[in-house]
Amino acid sequence: MMQHKTYFMTTFLLLTASIVSAAEWGDLTVQFVYDGTPPAPVKATVNKDVAYCGKFNVLDESVVVNPKNGGVANVIAHIYVGRGDSVPAVHPDYEKTAANEVKLDNKQCRFEPHVTLLRTSQTLLVGNSDEVGHNTNITALSNTASNVLVPAGGELKQKFPLAERFPMQVACNIHPWMQALVVVQEHPYMAASDADGKLTIKNLPAGKLTFQFRHERPGYLTEVTLDGKKTSWRRGRVELTIKPGQNDLGVVKLAPSVFEEK
Amino acid sequence: MGVVLAGCTPEAHFNANAVLMHKNENAAKETTEFSPQRRADIANTLVALFGTPDEPHIPAAPGIGEDDVHQVMDPRKISFAAGSVSSDEQGRARGLYREHCAHCHGVTGDGAGPTASFLNPYPRDYRMGIFKFKSTPKGQKPTHEDLKRILVNGIPGTAMPSFLVLPENEIDALVHYVRYLSVRGEVERLLIDYATYELTPQTEPSEDDPNPPPEDRLVNLEASEEDQESQAEVIRSFVSEVTQKWLDAESLATEIPAPDPDRDLAKSEAHGRELFYGPVANCIKCHGDSALGDGQTTDYDDWTKELDPANPELVAQYQKLGALKPRNIHPRNLRNGVYRGGRRPVDLYWRLKNGIDGTPMPAVLMLPENAPPGSKGLTEEDLWALIDYVRSLPYESISNPRLAQPKPNNQRERS
Repeated sequence: MMQHKTYFMTTFLLLTASIVSAAEWGDLTVQFVYDGTPPAPVKATVNKDVAYCGKFNVLDESVVVNPKNGGVANVIAHIYVGRGDSVPAVHPDYEKTAANEVKLDNKQCRFEPHVTLLRTSQTLLVGNSDEVGHNTNITALSNTASNVLVPAGGELKQKFPLAERFPMQVACNIHPWMQALVVVQEHPYMAASDADGKLTIKNLPAGKLTFQFRHERPGYLTEVTLDGKKTSWRRGRVELTIKPGQNDLGVVKLAPSVFEEK
Repeated sequence: MGVVLAGCTPEAHFNANAVLMHKNENAAKETTEFSPQRRADIANTLVALFGTPDEPHIPAAPGIGEDDVHQVMDPRKISFAAGSVSSDEQGRARGLYREHCAHCHGVTGDGAGPTASFLNPYPRDYRMGIFKFKSTPKGQKPTHEDLKRILVNGIPGTAMPSFLVLPENEIDALVHYVRYLSVRGEVERLLIDYATYELTPQTEPSEDDPNPPPEDRLVNLEASEEDQESQAEVIRSFVSEVTQKWLDAESLATEIPAPDPDRDLAKSEAHGRELFYGPVANCIKCHGDSALGDGQTTDYDDWTKELDPANPELVAQYQKLGALKPRNIHPRNLRNGVYRGGRRPVDLYWRLKNGIDGTPMPAVLMLPENAPPGSKGLTEEDLWALIDYVRSLPYESISNPRLAQPKPNNQRERS
């Protein structure tokens, strides 16, 4: 046992030691747009607790496209840290939120937000603003999985101390249409696109960084159109040079075929 | 004797987890193919780490002492349980796993032995490392005692029999062997994921990419000694990761504070009934208004979810690779009085407090200590009330319907 602790401790020290301050910082902005006529929203099959959940316009959120501008919501972006690679330098601004509670609410028979961004140092606070009970079944690869019944008005605090290579899947078995993702990273450099398909990762250390992009339906975004050119991102990864200040990757178009169900 | 007999039967082998490989190929959506080379690399790596069904090997786990590794997988006990069915010069049984377990759970521990498809529920596939009936919290491995209890008691309501008549040392050896198969299966999953998401796959040259990079080998014998060592280190870290979880579990059994022995049982049952139908425990959502287990019948367990059961096309592909036909998971009918994980109050306590791993059954939300007024959750007293009520359900008159008049035999009903 003792030996094992030392083994992890060494790894931990190596990672911590690599967090040094970078001299300059930059923001990365991207917009993801559906390259075609936006698909109409699909209503979720609300067949449980119909008296309550039926009051809300519950939608299938696996693909959410803005009908006005084609923006694709819930694209997940984060810095890719390979096995054995050190975590990039973290801007001091992020220290303020390092130990925050991050809320994942059960609200109007859906998870709010659909994509939660969680650092390993933060605490996930699962709430339930609804009048019905929900179970929050979290599947994890590296962390300990959990599945607790969260009653109306109840709350549950949980830590996920290890980074996850894939977002953790969250489901409510009582209401099978309810699905969400929780991204867990050791660093704060992650984002999910908003209703316009836009996402921003702030205060990145200037220099070369590898980013990874994914979406719930297709998984990694491997085939994209950037500046009108078809581009392949192997495993959704792309290396970018972040300059101090603003960095706009521009509009990334995603073909409708990307979102076809396999 | 054992050695001689072993030569008479065809050599047993571990099956590859072809379903997971195919699933990952679909998920990666690339030219990623588990090339013959890559499949061979994974198979060879697993043989190097774990040996074969006839000659098992216990791998080293960096960072974990040998004694601790052997606490999880004792090589002597594992060789006692491994191999073909025979006996040694002293008349001691060998090949225990293949004698007692492999028909249903398969030589690989993939839950796909020859009888598996005839059984409902299907036998457990150990390779995910998930076990349902245990004393530890959700997401944790079972303790040694937990696995032993399953072997000794069997699982009521399923095909899993009791092995009570086996001598203690044989049960003990089988528990070690099940853990060995489970660790092996989980390491295989980690290797498959590692290959899918971290190694460059074999790619055919195309117009866009006339010179694709060569396929990364899982173990590249042409790489420098240093690179080979760092690859081997990653692979060995998978063994440590999984083994450590089994070690940790031994101290994680959920303690059970004794209930008040003088509690008024009728009152406790009545309180439990309120909780059963109430919003905090919410049992009726799945177990149904009448506790017949009919509240939620369209869900699947975690083993089945891996087969994308909602997608018949994918299911057909997985079935070709050996997966069993998906079936829904049903919440327990609580009026039968048959409890798979054991009928003792302590067993029900663990089910409620921790939920059931690999299934939709959640843990109840307990009221934290010093919770501010108005907080939601159950107290220990509430939990015992629920257990008292659930244990009373099979004895309610509605659970034992009797016909008012006996039906005449062999007579067609007339309207």
